[in-house]
Amino acid sequence: MYVTDDGEELFVIDSHLHLWDASEENITHEGGEQFIQCFYDYHTGFTPEEKQWDLDEYRQYGADRMAEDLFGNAAVDMGIFQPTYLNDFYADGFNTIDDNAELAERYPERFVLNGRFDPRDGEAGMRELERQKEEYDIQGVKLYTAEWNGDSKGWRLDSEESFEFLEKCSELGIENIHPHKGPTIRPLNRDAFDVADVDDAATSFPELNFVVEHVGLPRLDDFCWIAAQEPNVYGGLAVAAPLAVHRPRKFGEIMGELLFWLGEDRLLFGSDYALWNPDWLVETFMNAELTDEQRDEYGVELDVDTKRKILGENAAELYDIDIEAKKEQFRTDGVADDFGLADHYAGGTSAAPADD
Amino acid sequence: MPSEHSASDHSSSTNTEPAGATTPAAVRERLDRVTDPELDTSIVELDYVEEIQIHPAGDEGNADRTGDADGDEVFVAFTLPTAWCSPAFAWMMAGDARREVESLPGVARAAIELRDHMHEREINRGINEGLPFEDAFPDADGGVESVRLELDRKARTARQHDATGALLEAGLTREQLAGVTRSDLDFEGAPEGRVRVWVREGAVAVETDADPVERYLRKAEATGVLDDEHPELFRTPEEEPFDGDEVELVRQRTRLAGVNMGGQGTVCDALNDARHAEDRPPLSTREGAPVTPGEDDRADAD
Repeated sequence: MYVTDDGEELFVIDSHLHLWDASEENITHEGGEQFIQCFYDYHTGFTPEEKQWDLDEYRQYGADRMAEDLFGNAAVDMGIFQPTYLNDFYADGFNTIDDNAELAERYPERFVLNGRFDPRDGEAGMRELERQKEEYDIQGVKLYTAEWNGDSKGWRLDSEESFEFLEKCSELGIENIHPHKGPTIRPLNRDAFDVADVDDAATSFPELNFVVEHVGLPRLDDFCWIAAQEPNVYGGLAVAAPLAVHRPRKFGEIMGELLFWLGEDRLLFGSDYALWNPDWLVETFMNAELTDEQRDEYGVELDVDTKRKILGENAAELYDIDIEAKKEQFRTDGVADDFGLADHYAGGTSAAPADD
Repeated sequence: MPSEHSASDHSSSTNTEPAGATTPAAVRERLDRVTDPELDTSIVELDYVEEIQIHPAGDEGNADRTGDADGDEVFVAFTLPTAWCSPAFAWMMAGDARREVESLPGVARAAIELRDHMHEREINRGINEGLPFEDAFPDADGGVESVRLELDRKARTARQHDATGALLEAGLTREQLAGVTRSDLDFEGAPEGRVRVWVREGAVAVETDADPVERYLRKAEATGVLDDEHPELFRTPEEEPFDGDEVELVRQRTRLAGVNMGGQGTVCDALNDARHAEDRPPLSTREGAPVTPGEDDRADAD
């Protein structure tokens, strides 16, 4: 939990985590090398210098280091894994549900394990989605619409095949759909950042929640306009949050727009780990402020109550997480033991006895 | 309708430099007219341009090149913030750069080299051989025109925010702003660098800085807004006219377009810095990785 100078506690759910393998042995296509290099540019471009990793450790950091980074300083209380397969680039996939499960199963009470589907996989993909539900009881999927798959260089959320999978998600009770809407390289001559397909899908599946990752950043304007009209569209702040490091004014502008168009109940914090480390990013986010001018312009606040929602409560709402019960549980769980955090959850607002 | 030149930000028709006097400054000035279409900002200002070389006509070094006896040859190299920058955007910038430099009167030919990009071979070959995008990228399903138009629309929307902000500041009412037409604008009768906007059927004018209005007009032209069926100069992002009581919402939406560009510009800027940091590891040396620039086989790439 993040504790403010005034002793206020904020429960942190990092809604965007990966446990990836970009080791040279796992790369089968030059796209895989370019991909991790590009990630590394994002990492160094938005990480304070003394916190930067070197490229070798960045390629493959493993479950132990990840646990240490998340819980060693109690930077986060819980995390949501978002897989990214990229099977055309990586022999065993870049960041699969089965990779993520290694850590999620070690500390099951701390993680939400999301799955994925690719409508181009057809019937086999449908079976795989069922397996993920059965094996890991997934409540959400991360969708990477720009992923290569044989001759295809991407797919759309509003396609007929995609709707069949969304229908399946609805049937299986997989309610949280996280489409990645950020930079990609293909299709070559189309608007690869297009968020318009979210609009149709969100209208057609009102029972599902669509968390647009990276708030569609190169298309923030389209994203906000869609979200303003579709109540089941949310924004994931991965990539946006690190702007607060070197460009606090820009970050304030973007937050001003998001709070203006979506409000404080539909934004989710995410570090995109290991792109960035929540260890410093949560602190940076907590220190971020709107300027007086931005407050006037947008008529919104980015105060501690807003931040409490963005950092944890909104994700808890989507994933049916009872924060008070979790705090109780976290006094004695595996993370508390391994990282000496029992005291961390002992005091403050969590002192009230649980009903059960 | 938008032309291939629409991302270039100025008219190229006025050439005052004498032939044979190509200077790096003149080349740079032309390149300054090329914008990163996603950010609506000059590639010179964004620091993408890495190298400019000028080979005067008749220079020894030019002996083996063809068709350039009548002018200088210019070589321009540029790099984008990441190897993953949209190939369509990279293509537009490379093509615009070539056209702008070749519009200098002393220049016979400009050779453009995009460096460290996922698709540098296809782009360099396509641009320097004058191919259409769909020939350079046979697996792409069409040209780049629709992407360019989409980005021009974004730029128009963002620029409208500055133009309408200046006009409201100068005293136009919301109703007047919604009804302004191209013919209400008077640049000639206004002092240097200013524009007058006539309202109340030409009875009164307000005056403001010409720059945001001129910048807006260039993108309004590129997107076809100046000659469609509506006379109104300012539009919603969907290019529809609006009423006085919709001005506030339209202003909020045009503000958002600018914030988006600025936000993405910030991301690109940080990537650019990271990529060019002194201790940045080089692009992969593993087999199958992209070829580093300057190697002999570039021209033969297929």
